[in-house]
Formats: sequence, structure tokens, C-alpha cells
Amino acid sequence: MPADRPASRMVDIWELVARQAAGRQARVSIADVCAAAVTATAVSGAALTAVTQAGGIHLMYATDQISERLAGIELTLGEGPRADAVAFGGPVLTSDLAHGDAAAQWPAFAAAAREAGAEAVFAFPLQVGAIRAGVLQMYRQQPGPLSAGAFGDALLFAETATLVLLDAAAQGAPGTGPGGQPIELGLHRAEIDQATGMLTEQLGTGADQAFARLRAYAYAQDRSLSDVARDIVERRLRLEPDDGLTCGGGR
Amino acid sequence: MDGRLLSDTFVELADTMVVGFDVIEFLHVLTDRSARLLDAAAAGLLLADSRGELRVVAASSERARLLELFQIQHDQGPCLDCYRSGEPVTVTDLSAAAGRWPRFAAAAGESGFAAVQALPMRLRTQTIGALNLFRSSTGTFDQADTRVGQALADVATISLLNERSLRRSETLNEQLQTALNSRVTIEQAKGKLAERLGVDMDEAFELLRNHARASNRRLSELARAFVDGSEKLPGISAARPPESPRRGGKPDPPH
Repeated sequence: MPADRPASRMVDIWELVARQAAGRQARVSIADVCAAAVTATAVSGAALTAVTQAGGIHLMYATDQISERLAGIELTLGEGPRADAVAFGGPVLTSDLAHGDAAAQWPAFAAAAREAGAEAVFAFPLQVGAIRAGVLQMYRQQPGPLSAGAFGDALLFAETATLVLLDAAAQGAPGTGPGGQPIELGLHRAEIDQATGMLTEQLGTGADQAFARLRAYAYAQDRSLSDVARDIVERRLRLEPDDGLTCGGGR
Repeated sequence: MDGRLLSDTFVELADTMVVGFDVIEFLHVLTDRSARLLDAAAAGLLLADSRGELRVVAASSERARLLELFQIQHDQGPCLDCYRSGEPVTVTDLSAAAGRWPRFAAAAGESGFAAVQALPMRLRTQTIGALNLFRSSTGTFDQADTRVGQALADVATISLLNERSLRRSETLNEQLQTALNSRVTIEQAKGKLAERLGVDMDEAFELLRNHARASNRRLSELARAFVDGSEKLPGISAARPPESPRRGGKPDPPH
């Protein structure tokens, strides 16, 4: 990614997503994230697959028929960039499906995807550490890599989609903070991840629920996520399994 | 510099870099050896994330104060300057750097550090992060040491490419994200184990790392399995009694 990338780009990304939702007169959903991502990164289409509670894979949304077909092909064949992105824990970028590498990696998928109309596919895992929520996959009808800017944007759209998905999965957790913006626009801090890990023990839940509760608590208290995380890590604050919002000291 | 130690280090690093190696564990070994080899009190590797902000992925010690010192540099400090310029940044006396980086210089001083160096992690025209070295006394950084330090930073960059096929031009960007996310997973695992055993974060890290080594597993995979509940770690227990969060003014010693 370019070194001069402004940190505020995440705010721009969120605004693009929010504008999509406003156009539909609805709350922000993954449909808005997919639509905004397609426009901003100049790809032909995008689809989002999510991991269900039972561990299955479910197509949540596709911006167009080819995207939908690609997801179907991957789920049927059990091979392709989607599965690799999950296994690898990072983006899988295939700028030319006609190239020998892609054919060697996924013989059946590469052929079927090209037949469906895709020449390049880019898969971004929706993840926060060990939390795996799904995959955002984009395609292009012409071969060619994502530009550095488009790649950076795609990562931020994937981050946004992750939060929207996790909040939708965790009942009652608000998806947006004050002003309709996601509350973790702040800097990434190791304390947030450590606190998430601690909460899995305190709450007896998975990391996805723990992370959602951490964010919900920060939102309800109108405090920054890293601030609350620090209180948890320094053991000034504990959350309890039942009522998540009042326990321990705070500041 | 000790020539024997230098050759041993590169042999060890090359041995670690085999098929299926764990890049995070590799980078930990690399920071650990960098500190020892270059006579630094502490070493860390920082990589830029999708927002262009620097994040620590490996350090010679997991002490909270040291990690904080790396973390401050998302905003100011030698690593940020090095990352932005793609050039090495060397400060032989940190007390003279208070005007340049007020927060960083103060925090480094409090941790007992007197000199600092940041060496770029570069691939062709792209700078992806920096190797950060701290010393507890002032003074110049020897030219030969700096060359070795830069070589170690280059090895760290190459290790990110190594895990997947080198034919793929897109590999570095893919692997960078994987490394950053692995670090997030390890932090989550540290938190979970620290809470379970009532220990602090650096001890939780040591326990995880030792367990991964003893059972011949990748650290990042063990961390992931522990966080998602598929690995219970039944035999793991605290080596020393629980401590309160570290607040003392002691410098972070070499690991």
C-alpha cells in the first residue's frame, strides 16, 4: 500500500457505504458495503459469503449474476480463492485466471470462473485475528491487478464488512456509533485484541461475541474502544455473562 | 561484532525458513537475534497496515512498556520517519530528540533507552515497515553493525514473500495482511490465557510460545486454535504467581 495513504481514508470508505444505505433508505447492511466496494475499486462485481453459526458457508449478497455464479461454483467445487483466503488468513489476489498459476492452483475453478465471465478474482477474508466471519470476493471481466489504491480500499471495505457482519450476528449490538459512523475508526491497539481474548473467558463466549460485546459496551458508555480495552487489560473492568453493561469500575 | 554469532544467526534463520514455516515465529526469532547480535537492548519489527499505520508484529520482548514504545510510532518516532522516507533513521542520543518526537523521546527515556535506530523493510520501490533497535547507552551505531541490521531487515522482508510462491507478484501484499492478522490472533490468545491463568501478557506469550515449540506447532496456528476453542491447552499453567500490571520504571532488558 502507498506510504502516503491518509489514515482518514477509512472515514471516506464509511461515507461511501453510508451513502449507499441512504440511497436505499435503509440501515447499513453488507449490500451497501458490496455496492460501494465495486464502485470504489473499479471491479465488475462483488459477493459476500458468511460463515454460519453451524460452521457452514452461506452466500449473503452478490451485486450481480456473475458474482453469484462464482460463489456457487466455489461452494460446489470446494476449491478456489474463497477457501484459500480463509485457510491462508489473508487476501488471495488472482489478476489473471487464464495464467498457468491459477489453472494449476484451481484447475476446475479457474476454468468454470472464466466460463462464467470472470478473468480476475480477488478474495478478502473477513477476519479479526481468530475471528473468521466470511469472505468478500470481487471479480473483473478483464485480467489485471488491483491498483495499490484499490487494494488498500478493498482491505478497508473488508474491514467494514466484517464489523457489519459481526454486529448483525451478535444480537443487540449496535452497528454504528454516534453520527452513524463505526466506532472503531480510531487506531488499532493491541489492547483491543487482548481484551477480546480476556472477554472470551469472562463471558464464556467465542471471540466474535466477545468482540461484539466489547464494542457494544464502548458504544453504550460513549467511550473509545481502546480506552475500554485498556481498562479490561489492566483489570480495572470486568464484563459479566448476563448483563453486559454494568460491572466493575470503569474510570 | 562476533563473527561466529553472526554466521550462527544466519544459519539458524535459514534453517527456520523451510517449507510451511511460521512467519510470525520466524520474525520473533529474528528480532531476538537482532538484539543480541547488534548489542541492542530491544528490537522490534513494525509493518504498515491497510490504513498505512505501523503495527508491531514481533519484538525481542513482549513487555507492555516496550510494545507501547513501538505503538507510539504510528504517530511519531524514528520508525514512522524511516517508513515514510524509506531511509534508515539513526539517533545516537535520544535526549536530543525531544523536539523532533516529544512523546516518543519521553517514553523511550522512561524505558531506559538512550539511542535508537530504524532500518527500512523494502522491496523494490515499496517500503513495508521497519526494524527498530534500541540501545541503553548513547553513541554511534557502527557501520558494520548497521549493514548487518539492514541485512536482517531485508531477510524479514524476504520471509514475508517466502511462505507462498515467489512467482506471484501479488504475494507481498497478501502475506503482509496475513502477518498482521496473525499478530492480532496472538494478542487475542495472550488475553485469553492471561485471563484464565491470572498472569500478565508477556508471561502468557511465553507460555504460548513454549507450548508451540514443545509440541512442534506453529505459534499462530496454536493461538488461533486456542482462541476458537478447538485447542484447550489443558496442561498449561502459570510459571510464577500472578503480578499486577507492570508500572515500574525499569528498562526492558534484552530477552
